[in-house]
Amino acid sequence: MTKDRNRGITHSKWFLPSFSFVLGLVILAVAWLGGHPGEGAYGLAGLTAFGLFFLLAGRSETIRGLRGDGRDERFAQIDLRATAITGLALLVALIVAWLVAIARGQSGRPYDWLLAIGGLAYLLAVAWFRWRG
Amino acid sequence: MKNAVRALRMRQNLAQGQLAEAMGVSRQTINSIENERYTPSLPLALALARYFGVTVEEMFYDQGS
Repeated sequence: MTKDRNRGITHSKWFLPSFSFVLGLVILAVAWLGGHPGEGAYGLAGLTAFGLFFLLAGRSETIRGLRGDGRDERFAQIDLRATAITGLALLVALIVAWLVAIARGQSGRPYDWLLAIGGLAYLLAVAWFRWRG
Repeated sequence: MKNAVRALRMRQNLAQGQLAEAMGVSRQTINSIENERYTPSLPLALALARYFGVTVEEMFYDQGS
């Protein structure tokens, strides 16, 4: 009942494996363009193995939730919290890296740009959800 | 938040998996609700109450009531 409302491509067991494989292909193509296809092949192999692991890993709630086919409202909440913590960790890492670069007499690029993008995305998201909600 | 999900489920001799299937959520979600680790959304609370033929207030209540 509650799950059906949220059904979509991201709720298929093929979502994460397919995404991993396509990302691997993109890495291979980009590495090829950059003149080092061997590294791209490693990337494709690693991401394909990662996707296959999740496809064949069984029916545990965590695996099914991460894979897509076991997502319900509780897992969506877990996913949201985990994403927020990931964003916070990235933000802290960027601030530290930016400060270290400044202290070393460097320009602070590209950390300042990444921080600006993060801050802007946050403000736009707040404005959007405030308007919607 | 306290709830009567386990009691109502047991009364109908339902396994957690059966109730989860009927509600379209995972068995672990039903388990988390029963153990008061997860408070369900209003749509899921309504669905559970309708499924057992009780009101939401009869199914979910805080410590004081």
